Amino acid sequence: MSDLEALQHEALTAVDAADSLDELDRVRVRFTGKRSQLAVLQKGMRELSPEERRARGQALNAFRDAFQAAYDTRYQQLQAEALRSRLEAERLDLTLPPRRLPPGRPHLLTQVEQEMLEVFIGMGYRVAEGPEAEAGSYNFDLLNIEPDHPARQEMDTIYVDGFDDVVLRTHTSPVQARVMTTSPPPIAVVCPGWTFRADAVDATHSPVFSQVEGLYVDEQVTMADLRGTLLAFARAMFGHDRDIRLRPSFFPFTEPSAEVDVSFHGPGGNHGWLEILGAGMVDPNVLDACGIDPERYSGFAFGIGIERVAMLRHDVGDIRELFEADARFLARF
Amino acid sequence: MKLPLSWLTELVDLDLPLDDLVSLMSLSGLEVEDVTTPGAGAAGIRTARVLHFEPHPDADSLRVVRVTGEGGDGEVEVVCGASNFDVGDVVAHALPGGHVPGVTGPDGGRGMTLEARTIRGVTSQGMLASPRELELGDDHAGILVLADDTPLGASLDDLIPVGDPVIEIAVQADRGDHLSILGVARDLAAILDTTWRAPEVPAAPSGPSLPVTLETDGCSAFHTWVLEDVAIGGSPLWLRQRLAQSGMRPIDVAVDVTNLVMLELGQPLHAFDLDQVRGPAMTVRDAVGGEQLTTLDGQKRELVTGDLVIDDAERPVSLAGVMGGLDTEVSPATARILLEAAVWEPTTIRRTSRRLGLSSEASQRFERGVDPQGAARAVARAAGLLTDLAGVTATGSGAQLADPQPDWAQRPTVTLDTARVRRTLAMDLTDDDQAGLLARSGAQVGGGDGRLEVTPPSWRRDLTRPADLTEEIIRLYGYDRVPDRLPALPTTGGLTPAQRLEREARQLALAAGFHEAKTRPFVGDDALAGVVPSPGRVRLANPLAQDAAAMRPSLIEGLLQAVRRNHGQGRPGVALAELGRCFRPVEDPLAQVLDAVLADVPDADWRWTDPDGGAIPVQPRVLAVAAAGLKLGEGWLEVDESWSVHDVVDVLDRVARHLAPPDDPDWALERVATERDGYHPGRTAVLRLRGQEVGIVGQLHPDESDRRDLPETVVVGELVLEPLLSAVPEDGYPPVSAPTLVKHPAVTVDVALVADEGVAYATLERAVREGAGHLLDELWWFDEYRGEQLGEGRRSVAMRLRLQAADRQLTDADAEAVIDQVEAAAADIGAALRR
Repeated sequence: MSDLEALQHEALTAVDAADSLDELDRVRVRFTGKRSQLAVLQKGMRELSPEERRARGQALNAFRDAFQAAYDTRYQQLQAEALRSRLEAERLDLTLPPRRLPPGRPHLLTQVEQEMLEVFIGMGYRVAEGPEAEAGSYNFDLLNIEPDHPARQEMDTIYVDGFDDVVLRTHTSPVQARVMTTSPPPIAVVCPGWTFRADAVDATHSPVFSQVEGLYVDEQVTMADLRGTLLAFARAMFGHDRDIRLRPSFFPFTEPSAEVDVSFHGPGGNHGWLEILGAGMVDPNVLDACGIDPERYSGFAFGIGIERVAMLRHDVGDIRELFEADARFLARF
Repeated sequence: MKLPLSWLTELVDLDLPLDDLVSLMSLSGLEVEDVTTPGAGAAGIRTARVLHFEPHPDADSLRVVRVTGEGGDGEVEVVCGASNFDVGDVVAHALPGGHVPGVTGPDGGRGMTLEARTIRGVTSQGMLASPRELELGDDHAGILVLADDTPLGASLDDLIPVGDPVIEIAVQADRGDHLSILGVARDLAAILDTTWRAPEVPAAPSGPSLPVTLETDGCSAFHTWVLEDVAIGGSPLWLRQRLAQSGMRPIDVAVDVTNLVMLELGQPLHAFDLDQVRGPAMTVRDAVGGEQLTTLDGQKRELVTGDLVIDDAERPVSLAGVMGGLDTEVSPATARILLEAAVWEPTTIRRTSRRLGLSSEASQRFERGVDPQGAARAVARAAGLLTDLAGVTATGSGAQLADPQPDWAQRPTVTLDTARVRRTLAMDLTDDDQAGLLARSGAQVGGGDGRLEVTPPSWRRDLTRPADLTEEIIRLYGYDRVPDRLPALPTTGGLTPAQRLEREARQLALAAGFHEAKTRPFVGDDALAGVVPSPGRVRLANPLAQDAAAMRPSLIEGLLQAVRRNHGQGRPGVALAELGRCFRPVEDPLAQVLDAVLADVPDADWRWTDPDGGAIPVQPRVLAVAAAGLKLGEGWLEVDESWSVHDVVDVLDRVARHLAPPDDPDWALERVATERDGYHPGRTAVLRLRGQEVGIVGQLHPDESDRRDLPETVVVGELVLEPLLSAVPEDGYPPVSAPTLVKHPAVTVDVALVADEGVAYATLERAVREGAGHLLDELWWFDEYRGEQLGEGRRSVAMRLRLQAADRQLTDADAEAVIDQVEAAAADIGAALRR
């Protein structure tokens, strides 16, 4: 039996020494295949006595079991190693930039406009729109700006050729006039969009810019309502610790009229006020012209420059950057 | 309007620091734009008389001047470059060690300290200063020459308040009264609840003036004074300073005094040389078209009906309220002056001034309305000053008043409902509070029992209605005392379904990798045509530039220019999208296209009109995209993948699908190959909706790219969103129903059709769908092949079909049947199934 012990020792050593799955398979064939010593010993059992046969049978089974166990263990080891080395070869550098086409960014003005609209939508306003090349009657007449009113000249209006009285709207207030002439109070709308002035392009002027105007008309609307609304807006846009300040001003379509400043606290104790919008109580002439009874209804209106808010909040130093479509600028926000 | 502080304090009691005053003014409707201190820092400057001068021995353009020394005694030698003075003139001498504020110093900063300096061998003890060097105006053509009676050896700051602060305010369109020192002083008195006073004026002389006839409704008062013994000279230093502080140039004492009084009282005046006024007599009348008048600036002006004009006995002598005539101008030779102060109808003056493009200090005041009660005082004030300063004798005066006074010069009484004021302001201001505040403004306040009868003062043209009085009350009480209250609105907020879809269209474009751009919507003549090309333009009557003379007919041009700028920055790739309006004339083909698309859609009113239903330019909403170069990731670029026309097709197709009525094949976007100027002839297609062109996609023609200095492959696309958005019902489209998820397994079949190149994929797909019939669940295009065995000019297109039946499992026989049907349908369009 020492032959078998020697064989077993040799076989198990060979199993342990196998360094690949292929080699292991060759070891299996060499020690347990049809031409192996094991097969010879098995074949020779016929010539043995029943007792010897039983004893050898047991010995051979023990050999087989031992071999199989060693084989299985080694097989699992080698398989795990093979997988490990394949995975090692598949290593990726995940600090490489992500390989995808990123979505484009909405324009800064779009983002600020939508944020402003959301504030007012949350308060109960709907969004109204109108044409950019606008009838003078909506842009001026219905808003208490008669043809000879000095405000018409001061607004640096751009006129459209070939029409009696069509202008590039100087504000989005004509949208308010359109709403008031077609719907009964209560009216609560915000009107976003492009507006135009005959201003030459420089760092602080643009012939095209955008506004969000708001209008609330109902019974018993007060100046306190206006102030409360604008305070809530300023805090939503600039921070909960902000305050607003109203200063007397003049707009043909509101009376009383106000310019509205928002407080700021800069570094080094530098604080003060920044003008952000114009507002006021809707002039009774405007209500009347738009078919709303000024004795029964009152309202407030406000107009906010989107560029101004965007530039203040995002440190944009030159208004031209908003319209040059430089991808470095567009992708930043 | 510039307000010298020393002048203001002559007319109103101000007892607060400048900073507080400025801040109070800004919070009370006198918006301060700037505070300057012209002349501040001037030191060591004294008056001196010129005793002698001679040419500099070594420089032709210089003079060596001897002037009186300190205290008016002795002599000092100064080198001077000016020649506008003579022996005996009084000048401003800046001594060595003195400081001159209005020059740029050696360090580039403001002002310079003098020292004795040798100029070409002659030592100059300081300098003789020009008005600009002293910041007493812009004049730098010569040195400052003062009136003869100026005391000698006096320090400049003993003569005038050197560095007197000047507060500049923005004047509101409705506050013409703020265009004068007196007007601001009155308003400050109202704001501070203190007192103001008008300057003292002499009584009108009883002698006659010249006869004046008022023949127009456009003049409510016409005051004249006759001044004799006139000797026109220069103005004293204090007057020159006031004019300089106000931004006006001193001319001579007559003109300077009329300007000073205009600034002080807000009433423009005119001085005629009475000996040039024929008659002498005047008629104030409406102009007749075709008349001519040469104004003070030397321009010949053509008058039209609607202008106001002043005639003497023979001819027009003044364009009323705007500018006087040249023929009757006051000159050094003038011996007799006719001073005139009139009150003109604002609208007329505004029209004339606008028509002539002639905006004068006078017209600016008349067109905002002057105080109808102020003209008499102003003419007397000017006469008084000329008596003091130029020794004239006032010999006669006259006043013509329109009777009855025209409406526009009247201050009507306004009835104010005090409860309504409390309601509007949400504040508890008693009747007495309100009456008191209005009285501070100079209004007469009567009535009671909740109704105040308020007669505003003659200078407050802006107070005509209860709303105006409400503003005046809260302005004086303090805007900052209005409480804040967030109102609970009785309305529900939100976006309409169409507004939501518009936002989603933007998001889809962004998701495809395009950044949103906003470009200025103006174009010149050279612009690449986009959807439905037409020569029609919405042109601007007063464009800012020739290359911005029209509104964009398409969004593509603006994006191409933006692509060009990014390309010029050396960016390897760029993709931009813009959502906005394009502009076309009312009858443009594009307008007809949109009408046709929306013809059967109820309430899809996409055109805007004026209030009377009149047409205005059409301005549909459009989505446009443009891209060029490589696709860029974040910190990564795909060197093998450039933006292609497929990307443009993809994004516009996706947007159109998303916005169209769901499951409605009638609204599917169709693509048809086309050829257009500026576009690649084989890579351009129009997008059709309901048979109408609503978009274009394409690659630029290489020549077009080259001309624009762009890389060869630039792709663009444009889709008019307006019909899709206008078709959205008020309540949005009905909700989409869930699909039936068939449980039986699906069968997949690949088919390949061979056809001539000219047969579009869309045609092939239509045939396959038709052939596959109701078993077709989904269809994908997956391959395109050209090769010898197909023959020249033919291609094979492969599609994978997923077949499924709701009620049973499909068999091979079903698949065979579908293939046979596809083959038959393909044959109908001249295509063969590739077995």
